Amino acid sequence: MDFELNEKQEMLKKTARGFLENECPTSLVREMEEDERGYSPELWRKMAELGWMGLVLPEKYGGMGGNFLDLTVLLEEMGRALVPAPFLPTVVCGLVVLDAGNEEQKHLFLPKIAGGEIIMAFALTEPSASYDASGVTVGAVSTGDDYVINGTKLFVPDAHVADYLLCVTRTRDDGSEEDGITLFLVDGKSSGISYTLLKTIASDRQCEVNFENVRVPQQSMLGELDRGWQVVAKVLEQAALAQCALMLGGAQRVLEMTVAYAKERIQFDKPIGSFQAIHHKCANMATDVDGARYIIYQAAWKLSQGMPCSLEISMAKAWTSEAYRRVCVEGQQIHGGVGIIKVHDMQLYFRRAKAAEVAFGDARFHREVVAREMGL
Amino acid sequence: MDFEFTPEEERFYQEVREFLGKVVTEGLVKENEANVGWGPYTWEFVRKIGERGWVAPAMPKEYGGMGASHIQRFIIHDELLYHRAIPPTMLCGAGIVAPTLMLYGSEEQKREFIPRIARGEIEIALGYTEPQAGSDLANVDIRAVEDGGDFVMNGQKVFNTGCHYAQYVWLLAKTDPGAVKKHRGLSLFIVDLKTRGITVRPLWTMDGERTNEVFYDDVRVPKKNLVGEKNRGFYYITTALAFERNFPIGFLRRNFEELVAYCKETKRNGEPLCKDPLVRQNLAQLKVEVEVGHLLACRVAWLADKEIIPEWQAPMIKAFGTELMHRIGNAGIQILGLYGQLSRDSKWAPLKGRMEYLYRHASRRMISAGTNDIMRNVIATRGLGLPR
Repeated sequence: MDFELNEKQEMLKKTARGFLENECPTSLVREMEEDERGYSPELWRKMAELGWMGLVLPEKYGGMGGNFLDLTVLLEEMGRALVPAPFLPTVVCGLVVLDAGNEEQKHLFLPKIAGGEIIMAFALTEPSASYDASGVTVGAVSTGDDYVINGTKLFVPDAHVADYLLCVTRTRDDGSEEDGITLFLVDGKSSGISYTLLKTIASDRQCEVNFENVRVPQQSMLGELDRGWQVVAKVLEQAALAQCALMLGGAQRVLEMTVAYAKERIQFDKPIGSFQAIHHKCANMATDVDGARYIIYQAAWKLSQGMPCSLEISMAKAWTSEAYRRVCVEGQQIHGGVGIIKVHDMQLYFRRAKAAEVAFGDARFHREVVAREMGL
Repeated sequence: MDFEFTPEEERFYQEVREFLGKVVTEGLVKENEANVGWGPYTWEFVRKIGERGWVAPAMPKEYGGMGASHIQRFIIHDELLYHRAIPPTMLCGAGIVAPTLMLYGSEEQKREFIPRIARGEIEIALGYTEPQAGSDLANVDIRAVEDGGDFVMNGQKVFNTGCHYAQYVWLLAKTDPGAVKKHRGLSLFIVDLKTRGITVRPLWTMDGERTNEVFYDDVRVPKKNLVGEKNRGFYYITTALAFERNFPIGFLRRNFEELVAYCKETKRNGEPLCKDPLVRQNLAQLKVEVEVGHLLACRVAWLADKEIIPEWQAPMIKAFGTELMHRIGNAGIQILGLYGQLSRDSKWAPLKGRMEYLYRHASRRMISAGTNDIMRNVIATRGLGLPR
C-alpha cells in the first residue's frame, strides 16, 4: 500500500497550486460569477499552455499521456481554487472521443482539445433531471445523410460557450431504455440550437439547450448507432469521479480556511480554536476530508490501473457529496457571521458544494449503484 | 499510490485467513462472545497462534515474535477480529506491554515477560483508570511508596478489564505526590495479580462484559518490577505506543457482511429485505463507511511502516470506527424491526442477536481506550494545530 503521490504528481500538484494562486484568485472567481461567459479566456489559454486539457490524452494526439490519477491530482487543485472554467466537460468529452471515436474524429478533436482550442459540453440531462437512460428523450432522426435533432437538454454546464456539444440522443425507442441511444458531436453554432442560462446556487453556467431541427451530418456520430449508452455510462462514472476530485480540493480548502480562522479569531479573550466545541467540529471536518481523499484516490488509482471500479467510484461520490456539504456547514458555523457575507470566500465554497453534491448523481443515486454492485 | 497489498503481503494475508479458518472453532467464538474474558478455548487458541509468532508479531524473533511490519501486524489483527477469534478489545500484553518493554524495560523484564506474552502463556491486563482518573488519566491517585526492596501500593482502580483472567497487571501508580505537574509523578509497574492484598471485584457492563474494580491494600511489588525510570510512567504510556495504536475494522466488516447476507436471504412481506429501497440505501451507506474505515485504518499501518507517528490518524480511525460500530448496530436493529431487539439467547433472534449486541457493545467502545471526544481533541490539537 502507498497512500502518497509519486514525485511527478507532487510536482504537478505544486505547479498547479502555485499557478492557480497567482492566476485564479477568488477575485477572479467572483468576477466570473457576474460574467456571461463564466470563464476567463485568458486563464483558459494559460491552462492550455501548461498542457492541462491534454493531461490525460495520449501524446500522439497532443496530450501529455497522463492517467486518471494524475488528473485527479490536478482537479483537486482546481477545486481548491474554484477555477471557473469549462474544464471538466472538455476533458471528459475528450476521454469519450478517445474511447469511442473513430481515428478521424480523434485526429480532428483531440489535438484541439489538448491545445485548449475548443471547449466541449456534455449534453446528457433533460427536464426529467435524470442520469438514467430513461431520461434521454431528445430525438435524432435519420434523413439519409444527416440526422435531425429535436428536443431540450437541461443542466448542461458551459454549453453556451462550447464549440461542440457531445449530445446524447434517442435514435430508437422500441427496445429497452438503454437501447437506441446514440451520441453526436454537434457544432455548438449549428442553426436551430439556442441556449438559455440557468440561475444556479453555484453561480456557474448551466444551460437549457433547445434543439430545433438541428441537422448534423452522419460523420458526427460518435460510436455506434443505438449503442451509445455503454459509452455514456462509462463517461458518467469518470465525470462523477472528476467531480469528486474537485469537491475534495474545495473541502480541503474550507478545512484549512476554517482552522486558520479558529486560530486567529479571539472571543472571550481566547482564540476560538481553543474551545473544545471548535476542536470537535474541526476534527469531524478533517475526518470527512480524509475519508473523501482516500476513497476518491482509491477509485482513481483503480481506474488508472484499468481495474473495475464502478463500485469504488459510486462509493466515492456517495461519501464526498455528503462530506463536502458537512464540511461547509461546519466551516461556516465556525466562521460565524463573517462566513455568510459575500466578500468572504466561505460562501463561495458553501454554494458550490451543494451544486456539486447533485452533479453526476447525488449520494442517494450513487448509494443505489453501490447497492446494485453489492448484489442487493 | 497503491491501494493493494504487495504480492508478499497478499500471500501472508491468505496464510492468516486460511490458518484462522482452520483453527477458529465455534467454542472459541462462543467463549469470546460470552464476553467474560479468556477461558480455556481462548488460552488454547492464543498459544496456537503464538507458535507462529502472531500474538506479538512486531516483536523480534528472539522474543517470540516474527519481526513483522506494521502492515503484517495489521493483517493479523484485522483477521483475528474478522474471525471473532479474540475479544474485540486488543491483546493487552502483546499490544501494549511488550512494545513498551522493548523500548523502556530492563533486559531482565524483556526476557521474563515478552516471550511468555508472545507464546500466549500469559496476559497482562491494563491498570490505568481510577474513579477520578478517566480522560484525565494523570489524575491517578493510587500510591506506590518505596519500602526496602519493594514498592507498597494502596488505592483503587476501576474499569480494569482483564484483571480476573490475566496473570499480571500493568499498573500506573503515583510515586511522587509532590510533583508540580501530576503526570511527572507517576510510574509504571508490572504487578503479579496473585500478590497478597489485591482484591478483584467484577463490574458488569451493559454489553455483558466483565470488567473490574481492583483494590490494592498494602500490596508489595518488588522494585525490579518498576518499568523504566521512576516518575516517567505517564511519559511511557503516552509515547511508547505511538506506532502501535490502530483500529482495524475486521470485526465490523464481518458483522456488516452478515447483515447484508441476511437481507439478501430473508423475505419480508413476500419480498427479500434487500429489495426495500430504504434498506438498500442504509446498507449502501454503511458499505461506503466500512470502506472509509478500512482505508483510514490501513493508512495508520502504512504511516507506522514509514516510521511516521500516526499521532492523530490513529485517533481518527478509533473515533470513526467505534461510531461506525454504533451505526451498523443501529441500522441492523432498524432493518430487523421488532426482531432487532432480541438478544442472542432467544430462539427467535436473527443473526444470533449480534446486531443487538453490537449496538450495546459500541457504547463501550466509544468510551474505552480514550473517549471519542478526547480523540477529537487530539485530532484538533495534534493534527490541525489548534490551540489547547
